[in-house]
Amino acid sequence: MTTVMDLSNALAGAVERTSAWMFAVHGRPRLPSTGVLWHAGLVVTANHTVEHDRDVTLTGPDGRSFSASVAGRDPGLDIAVLRAVADGVPVADVADDRDVRVGHLVMALGAGPRASAGIVSALDVGRGRHARGELLAVDLTLYPGFSGGPLVDVHGRVIGIATSGASRHLQCAVRATSVTRLVEHVIRGGRIPRAYLGVGTQPVELPDPLRERLGLAQRTAVIVVHVRPDSPAATAGLIIGDVIVSIDGRAIAEPEDLVAVLQPDRVGAAATVTVLRGGEPRDLQVIVGERPSRA
Amino acid sequence: MSVRLAREAPIPHLAEVADQLRRVTVEITSPGGRGVGAGILWAPELVVTNAHVARASCVGVGFADDRQVEAQLVVADRRADLALFRIPPHGVAPAAFADSDTLRVGALVVALGHPLGLRRTLTAGIVHALGPVRPGGRRFIHADVRLAPGNSGGPLADSAGNVVGMNTMIAGGLALAIPINDVRRFVASATASEAAASTT
Repeated sequence: MTTVMDLSNALAGAVERTSAWMFAVHGRPRLPSTGVLWHAGLVVTANHTVEHDRDVTLTGPDGRSFSASVAGRDPGLDIAVLRAVADGVPVADVADDRDVRVGHLVMALGAGPRASAGIVSALDVGRGRHARGELLAVDLTLYPGFSGGPLVDVHGRVIGIATSGASRHLQCAVRATSVTRLVEHVIRGGRIPRAYLGVGTQPVELPDPLRERLGLAQRTAVIVVHVRPDSPAATAGLIIGDVIVSIDGRAIAEPEDLVAVLQPDRVGAAATVTVLRGGEPRDLQVIVGERPSRA
Repeated sequence: MSVRLAREAPIPHLAEVADQLRRVTVEITSPGGRGVGAGILWAPELVVTNAHVARASCVGVGFADDRQVEAQLVVADRRADLALFRIPPHGVAPAAFADSDTLRVGALVVALGHPLGLRRTLTAGIVHALGPVRPGGRRFIHADVRLAPGNSGGPLADSAGNVVGMNTMIAGGLALAIPINDVRRFVASATASEAAASTT
């Protein structure tokens, strides 16, 4: 890379190559979103752009239409994996996102193709329902319809999936590694499992004297208001009124934090749930279950 | 992509492109004196701008070296939002142009103008899309470049400083520029009709 013109040509070339495996996703009224052919027969997009109980169609790079069905959803990461037979469409070139550094030049792309450029502004963004290490923050404009589209480096390799669903203020992308993990769930098991405890919770403020006595940094936790019978939580002995302060050492300050901890990979694994019962901390061992499918 | 920065290798930059564009970007002031728009020095004695920037038949044209001249309207096309003005000779080399039909999505572009009255300000970005805003409409260059009032009529150029479009509108945060090939056709027909009028 020697001149600005070389860089300009590299960016335009990257857009040309990536547009070969991008789809317009028609999964909501009016505004289509963008999808990426991540693996043969599997298209990744943003979960919030694909409504439930709706026929999904895709428009391919050459204008052809394909019908698609939802193979799995991760509402926490805002990723949906669609099943579609798209003959003749090449699979996306997915990069190793460990090489991404703050300051790297990146582009967000929408079907069309449409492009937007900027830089990686932060790695390791932990926000709300999102666990650390799953999101990249980028300093660029995500235009309407860019959700579910690829975030690419100057070679046109995918380093993430853009989503406006993560935050209203930060422009974010789900890292390629996290997306690949979800796609692999679909390849192996035909779906994305949803981890499940079987509790209903509400946020609750922790009194200062209690926080000081127990050395807790968080100001809030969640109180259990419902325990589903025969659920993992019931088996582990959680009862109504328990205040969940952490799971495996990760602070639970609001109900959304539970979603962030309960990643699909946790299904079947043991987790230590730290609760306050009668003002005293207590550790309970829970085997994380899988959410029963909606009948 | 690893942009390796050897100690002796200069970092690619746009400073020369900016200088080149500053010289060919003029300020257009209307007789009322309200606000300032931009224009492109098309030929030694021709300036082109948006019709919505220059609404009078005689406007002021300011150069980067602070010289001011009076410009006479040759022709304005309100529908195309283009206007051509004739200026006295002043010795500044006109803009260089690229073929806007070869522009690609993702290519780096820069805009020069007077956004919010900040004279000869450079903003940079990439080509976002090419085509009409709505199906069947007029074709624009959509650029992911920050513009503001005062950019209208000014150049959108490629990374070599060759003008590819005329910044005309802001829509949904995007810059909309008239492709320079369309401006070229407008200027050709405007100068042809001017010549025909002067011979009769």
